[in-house]
Amino acid sequence: MPEEQKENLPIGVKGAVVGGAAVYLLFKAGAGYGWMLRPPGAVTEEEFLKKCLRCGRCAHVCPYNSVEMGRLTDGIAIGTPVIIPREMPCYLCPDLPCVKACPSGALDPELKDALKTRMGTAVITEREECLSIKGLRCEVCYRTCPAIDKAITVENYLNVKTGRHAIFEPVVHKKDCTGCGICEKACVLERPAIVVQPLQPPSESWYEG
Amino acid sequence: MKVNRWTVWRRIVQILVLLLLATPSFGLSFFEGNLGAAAILGLQLSDPLAALQILILTGSLTLTMLSGTGIILLFYGILGGRVFCGWVCPVHFMTDLTDMFPWTKRLTFWRLEWKYIALAITGILSFALGVPAFETFSPIGIAGRALTFGASSSLIVLVLIIIIELILVRRIWCRCLCPLGGFYTLLGHLSPLSVAYDQAKCTNCGECQRVCFVPEVLEPTLNKQVDRVHSGECTRCGACIGICPDHALNFGIRKPF
Repeated sequence: MPEEQKENLPIGVKGAVVGGAAVYLLFKAGAGYGWMLRPPGAVTEEEFLKKCLRCGRCAHVCPYNSVEMGRLTDGIAIGTPVIIPREMPCYLCPDLPCVKACPSGALDPELKDALKTRMGTAVITEREECLSIKGLRCEVCYRTCPAIDKAITVENYLNVKTGRHAIFEPVVHKKDCTGCGICEKACVLERPAIVVQPLQPPSESWYEG
Repeated sequence: MKVNRWTVWRRIVQILVLLLLATPSFGLSFFEGNLGAAAILGLQLSDPLAALQILILTGSLTLTMLSGTGIILLFYGILGGRVFCGWVCPVHFMTDLTDMFPWTKRLTFWRLEWKYIALAITGILSFALGVPAFETFSPIGIAGRALTFGASSSLIVLVLIIIIELILVRRIWCRCLCPLGGFYTLLGHLSPLSVAYDQAKCTNCGECQRVCFVPEVLEPTLNKQVDRVHSGECTRCGACIGICPDHALNFGIRKPF
């Protein structure tokens, strides 16, 4: 009996190493799936992945159910909180319940002012599609922006196509944009012309301290 | 069939834990989180293994995590580490139910010590991937998330466990592979609460080993070498106590050794 057991152990070690390697490859392969919009106060992505326990408390306390949890297809980010603005953006609660709920500091408790968070930044990705830039009076992104006249302003200039009308172009100012995604959600187009993207280059921290 | 009173109690607790984990999806707010980190009525709790991984990865812990871990360590330190497995863990509940299907030809049991290898690999993977590895692939986390965020592709991990346990090896996850089980086994060695054994009453009928999912732990006891179950593998599930026709087993409190 003891000899049989001695033979079993190396199989166990081999099995465990193979299993460990498989898990490593599975998650390493899924790690390249690009950027995810994190809840307010999230520390840098590398640090965030180290600290996030995937407990879902930020999602449980979110009054808008804005926070979803990563799926198996998100690779290494499985179970981590993500905001998909087109489904439900972050409405920047002044009391920041998600940040308060986070036990591990993945959402930095030093963040006190929701407007200071820098989850990402809105970018007008489809200039040709944007109704305002086409010369129509849309400006929905500007009107819904929680940092209106700071993060998004409207610049007007002559519509050269008609020669007599004005174009009211929404302009994003990265410095003041929280990355909440309300504009992305509000954009009237089927595929939004304004989309939240990562801050480039990534700063030391995703919010202003 | 005789009803095992300890198993009945355990099923009630297991179902209550499932309901507790699911409360956020009913719009109730007295509980938030999962078995990795949670708050019940504002009381912060966190899993010591999760805290350990974060400590390894970042070199620091928040006060919330530290106090939450302290409470959990104390709780399971007194009751016996694997009480978590037997009474709380939803995956253990799931495999308990899986194990009720008697009709399959499977390898009965594999070795228990693999859990320590799995625990070591969890540590290595945490370093290699830069994430708390157990929280990443943990079926416990997946089960908890499924309860509040709905079914997702991640559930395939749980299905795989059920299939493997049904056709290959009984209880392979909880007995041999779960790193958290390995961690709590280590903690369980320190516990003062354990199954006490009355040698005079025992008739060596073997019923206790038949109902135990880690029957190895009863071996030294039945060989009349010790008067209690010393192993940290014991989940204090009480199945052996409930089944024993001779009333030779009971919970007892001894000085931890």
